[in-house]
Amino acid sequence: MYHRTARVAEHVRLADRTYRVRLDCPDLAAAIRPGQFVMLRLPNTSDPLLGRPFALYDTVLDAAGRPVGVDVVYLVVGKMTGRLADVTSGTSLEVWGPLGKPFLDVGAPDHVRLVAGGIGQTPFLAFARELLGTRGFGGDAPRKRAAKVTLYYGVRTAALAAGVEDFRAAGVDVHLASDDGSVGFRGYVTQLLESHGTGGPLVGCGPEPMLHSLARLATAWDVPCQVSLETPMACGVGACFSCVARVKTADGGWDYKRVCVDGPAFDAAGLVWD
Amino acid sequence: MVDLSVSLGRLRLHNPILVASGTFGYAKEMAPLVDFAKLGGVIPKTVTAAPRAGNRPPRTVETASGMLNAIGLDNDGLEHFLAHHLPYLRTLPTAVIGNIAGKTEDEFVQMAARVHAAGHGLAGLELNLSCPNVSGGLDFATDPDVTRRIVRRCRDVCPDLPLVAKLTPNVTDIQRIAAAAADGGADAVSAVNTFVGMAVDWRRRRPVLGNVTGGLSGPAIKPLALRAVWRIAQLRAVPVIGVGGIGTLDDVMDFLVAGASAVQIGTANFYDPTASVRIAAALPGAVAALGADRVAAVVGTLTIPS
Ligand SMILES: Cc1cc2nc3c(=O)[nH]c(=O)nc-3n(C[C@H](O)[C@H](O)[C@H](O)COP(=O)(O)OP(=O)(O)OC[C@H]3O[C@@H](n4cnc5c(N)ncnc54)[C@H](O)[C@@H]3O)c2cc1C
Ligand SMILES: Cc1cc2nc3c(=O)[nH]c(=O)nc-3n(C[C@H](O)[C@H](O)[C@H](O)COP(=O)(O)O)c2cc1C
Ligand code: FES
Repeated sequence: MYHRTARVAEHVRLADRTYRVRLDCPDLAAAIRPGQFVMLRLPNTSDPLLGRPFALYDTVLDAAGRPVGVDVVYLVVGKMTGRLADVTSGTSLEVWGPLGKPFLDVGAPDHVRLVAGGIGQTPFLAFARELLGTRGFGGDAPRKRAAKVTLYYGVRTAALAAGVEDFRAAGVDVHLASDDGSVGFRGYVTQLLESHGTGGPLVGCGPEPMLHSLARLATAWDVPCQVSLETPMACGVGACFSCVARVKTADGGWDYKRVCVDGPAFDAAGLVWD
Repeated sequence: MVDLSVSLGRLRLHNPILVASGTFGYAKEMAPLVDFAKLGGVIPKTVTAAPRAGNRPPRTVETASGMLNAIGLDNDGLEHFLAHHLPYLRTLPTAVIGNIAGKTEDEFVQMAARVHAAGHGLAGLELNLSCPNVSGGLDFATDPDVTRRIVRRCRDVCPDLPLVAKLTPNVTDIQRIAAAAADGGADAVSAVNTFVGMAVDWRRRRPVLGNVTGGLSGPAIKPLALRAVWRIAQLRAVPVIGVGGIGTLDDVMDFLVAGASAVQIGTANFYDPTASVRIAAALPGAVAALGADRVAAVVGTLTIPS
């Protein structure tokens, strides 16, 4: 695990209140895998105090194909992300990671369906590259795991859809849904998915009600489903026990598990939903 | 060469930089980031007699230069600790101080006896008399008589294990509680645990934390903790371990000069996970800058202009 001050190489707006920040950090970039996350913190301030967790969006490669940086895509929602949006390239951020576990193994299916609600699309670009075998992570050579990857991506409105071209360029089939019908299917992304019927394994990330709907669809269709949770975190490394989710135990009960070390991706069938 | 070793009663540490209970997991979580040999010691998360699920989330929320937590002592119980965490902790190249919380006085004593019997490898035992997040927890170190009794009875069942009483700041006079702990036979007191507080979401008219209230920690509480430590140090009855808002070398030096014989770094482990080792590495320079050759020589050297 690395704890670094990393230079911001690039900082661009992708959509309404949504930005991509590119950090120079070769060692972290070489180690991190899809599904894992990093903690980011603004230096020289105690307010905001704690680091904030952000998924790996993409690794950045140099001309020779060596990992030299990581991309994080974030939505401005509060204190830290609001200040982050003002950070200019050339300045530095504190970063530590890789944190958490990679996505669970999906086996070798024909078709993997990724389902994102809002900013929940961020962990899926790197994962799509890994599944399609177009990029290796954590020092591994690229290996094709799935013939096809589809992203179902739901947003409130068209202006919030971020990185759609990145997914298409990576060879992902993208289906959009919006609450107001301003782009793609009008309605929830899980309704769009449902209208397409059953298929291969599902992977979800987004607001909890959406993930719960997804988990119910997966049960009805009897297909494997994992979801990446975004519980509030204070440390990101397993030290504070603040990021817990309820996970079923062998004895028929449940226990709080730390999302930062036991996840963030969990088998949806193993979670206790509120 | 600056001598960094300190003694607090029978507790001996090779340097005064400890990491606080509940902010360092069971140490294993921090192994990829922290070289334990550089620390004076680690204090794993509080264990209770029986397993506890802990409080419902949200369990933490950030506040101005601080955070509130209401974890609720989520842990798998003392026997699990002894069987699964202690074997690892025992291998660490630094002092390990256990931390226990009982629901009742008797439970504290039973747990202390069990640790004394089965906890070989521990450099000491901290009694968490002060967790604000479990009903009953707050009560112990708000009452000097109860504090004295628990410390004395634990002392009796673990005659040769250094004991540290961890105090709550949520009292009118922490000096009296510290004096009672000293009287009960504590080798040291640690001050302070978190300050009880709350956060509200007015739009939803809801408390932010699942437990409604929580404990405040981080840089925001440093001046409050410093004053508590200074007051206890003035008793000259028991060594003090300073805790509260420590995140930099300057913070550590402030606490030492104000009377702390050692310090614990808590919330800073979350936002700056290598702070503890960097501070420990820089400490000799700061001690030397005061013209001292031992860290113990700067403890309690605060002078108040007349
Ligand atoms: C594993 C993981 C990966 C993640 N990946 C990404 C990612 O790739 N991109 C991304 O954009 N986000 C991601 N997140 C979410 C991201 O961490 C949060 O959006 C970020 O922490 C917000 O920080 P902030 O300081 O801007 O917001 P905060 O100020 O901390 O607020 C966060 C949210 O909580 C609410 N809130 C905070 N305090 C209060 C209060 N006192 N009362 C009421 N409501 C309150 C705010 O309104 C806001 O909606 C991820 C989270 C996890 C756990
Ligand atoms: C998330 C969290 C969990 C904590 N858990 C415990 C605990 O289990 N036992 C304990 O004695 N103190 C616990 N504390 C209190 C700390 O050990 C420390 O006394 C307090 O946070 C003040 O120090 P700080 O400002 O450096 O964090 C906890 C603090 C935090 C922030
Ligand atoms: S965020 Fe601290 S344990 Fe998960």
